[in-house]
Amino acid sequence: MPRTLKKSLPHIALLGYLLVVLFPFLFVLFSSVKKDNNSIALNPFGIPKEFVFNNYVEAWVNAKISTYFFNSLYISVLASVVSILLASMFAFAVTRMRQGKWNTILFSLVLIGMLIPNNALMLPIYTIVRKLHILNTHWALIIPYIANAIPFTIIILAAFMRSLPSEIEEAAVMDGLKAPGIFAKIIVPLTVPAMVTVFIVNFLGNWNEFLLANYFLSNDELRTLPVGMVQFRDQYQMNYAQMSAGIVYSVLPVVIIYAVLQEKIIEGVTAGSVKG
Amino acid sequence: MNKALKNPLIFILFVIPALTLFFVFFIYPIFSSIYYSFTSWNGVSDTVKYTGLTNFKKALGDERFWVSVKNNGWFILFSVFIQVPLIVFFSLLIANVKKLKGLYKTAVFMPSIMSTAVIGILWGFIYEPNIGLFNKLLGLFGVEPIYWLSDERFAMLSILITNAWQWTGFYIVMVLAAILSIPGELDEAAAIDGATGFQRATRITLPLIVPIISVVIMLSIAGAMKAADIVIVMTKGGPAGSTEVMATYMIKYAITNFKYGYGNTIAVLIFVFTLIVTALYQLLFNRRSERIEY
Repeated sequence: MPRTLKKSLPHIALLGYLLVVLFPFLFVLFSSVKKDNNSIALNPFGIPKEFVFNNYVEAWVNAKISTYFFNSLYISVLASVVSILLASMFAFAVTRMRQGKWNTILFSLVLIGMLIPNNALMLPIYTIVRKLHILNTHWALIIPYIANAIPFTIIILAAFMRSLPSEIEEAAVMDGLKAPGIFAKIIVPLTVPAMVTVFIVNFLGNWNEFLLANYFLSNDELRTLPVGMVQFRDQYQMNYAQMSAGIVYSVLPVVIIYAVLQEKIIEGVTAGSVKG
Repeated sequence: MNKALKNPLIFILFVIPALTLFFVFFIYPIFSSIYYSFTSWNGVSDTVKYTGLTNFKKALGDERFWVSVKNNGWFILFSVFIQVPLIVFFSLLIANVKKLKGLYKTAVFMPSIMSTAVIGILWGFIYEPNIGLFNKLLGLFGVEPIYWLSDERFAMLSILITNAWQWTGFYIVMVLAAILSIPGELDEAAAIDGATGFQRATRITLPLIVPIISVVIMLSIAGAMKAADIVIVMTKGGPAGSTEVMATYMIKYAITNFKYGYGNTIAVLIFVFTLIVTALYQLLFNRRSERIEY
C-alpha cells in the first residue's frame, strides 16, 4: 500500500497542476453556454443545466470574428512565408556560396539582431511605417512582421543548410546548374523540414502579436483577432457569457492546430526560445 | 568548378532583400531611438529641437517611471523565485513518471502558444469581482470579494500570476527536454548504489540541468523587460498607474501623448537596463555555466 501511494503522489501533484492549467478553459467553455451573468454567478463551476448556444451566434456577429479571423490569418501566413523566402535566400548565400569573409561578416551582423529587445524599437518603426504612408493599412503590420522574424529565421535555416553535405551542389554544378538553380531545385527542397518548423514559430508569433496591431491600425475592418477581441471585451464587458463565446472562437483554432501538430509546435517554439 | 557559387552579383542579389529589411527595421531604429532620445520632438512637426540630457533627467526624476521599473523588477523576481522552483519541481516530476508523460507535457505547454491578449481577457474574467472564478472559489471559504484588478494591492500580483500561468509550462517543456537528454546510465548507476529517487533528482539530475535553468532565467529576464501587452490588456497600467511597466510607460508618452522624443528616451533606458540586468546576472551567477558533455 505505501508503495502504490508513493507511486501515485507525483501524479496527484501533476494532475493538480493540470487542473490549474485546464480549468480556466473549462470555466470559459461552461460560461459560454450559460444564459447570462446571473446564471454564471449561481453556478460558477459546473456544467449549465440548460445549454444556451445563442451566445455563439451573437458573439460571431457582434465581435466580427470572421473579419478579424481572416485578417489575422492572411497577415500571419503572408508575413511568415515572405520571411522564410527572404531568409532562406540569405542563408543560402552565406552558407553555400563562397564569398570568403563576407559570409561570416553578414551572418554575424544578423546575429546581433537577436539581442535587440524588439519592443524598444516600436517607436522608430512607427515613424518608418508612417513615412512610408502605410500606417492604418495591413502593410503596416506585414512588413514589420517580415522584418522582425528575419534574424531568427536566418539562424535556424542557416544551421540546417550548413549541415547539408557539399557534394550535393558539386554534382549540381557538374550538371550545369547556376546558383539560383541550385538554391531553388536542390537546397530549398532539402530544407523544407526546417522551414516548416520556422513557419510554425513565425506564424504563431504573428498570429498572437498585439502591440503593433493595436497601435498601427485604427480602422475596425482591418483589426486582427487579438486586438479585435480586446475591443470586443471593452464593448461587451457586462455580458460575460457572450464574451466567453468570443474567447472560445479565438482559442479554438489554435487548440485544433495544436492538437494536430503538437510535436512539431513544441519542437519549433522551444528552438525559437534561443531568440529570447 | 565552383564558379557558379562564386558569382558575387548573384550573392548580392540573394542577400540584399533580407539585409535591407534588417537595416531598416533593426539597425536604423536603434540609432534613430538614440538620436531622438536627446530631443523634444513630438513625432510630427518638421523641426526637431535638441534638448541634451533633459529627457533623461526628467525620466530618472519621475516617480512614475520608477514605479514602472519596479514593476519590471517584480516580473523578474516573481519568475526567478516562484516560477523557476515550480518549473524545476514539475519537470522533475514529469521526467520521473512512467504513465501520462505525453499528456502532461502537451497540456502544460498549451497556454504558451496562445495570444497574450486573449489570455489577458480570459483571466480578466477569472478575476472578475462578482462572478469570476477566483472570488467564487474564495467565497466557498467565506472570503469577501476581492477587486483583483482594481485594487492597488492586488493588481500587480494578479498580472504576475496570469503571466506565470501562461509561461511556466513553456519552460517546463524546455527543462524536461534537458532532463530527458541526460543518459539513463547515470541514473541507473546511482540507483544500483542505493540512491533514492529524491537523492537521484537532487544530486544527479539537478546539477546537470543548471545550465538550462540558467537559460530559463535569462529568457525570463528578457521576457520581463519587454512585458507590455498583458498589462495593456488586463489593467491598462492602472489602478492609478500602479501596474505600469517600462514599455507601457513608453507607449503612453510617445503614442498617446505625442512626446516622441521622451518616449525614445525610455526606449533607450529599457535597452540600457536590460543590458545591466543581463550583465549583472552573468557576472554574479553564471560564471560556471560550462557546457556539459556526456
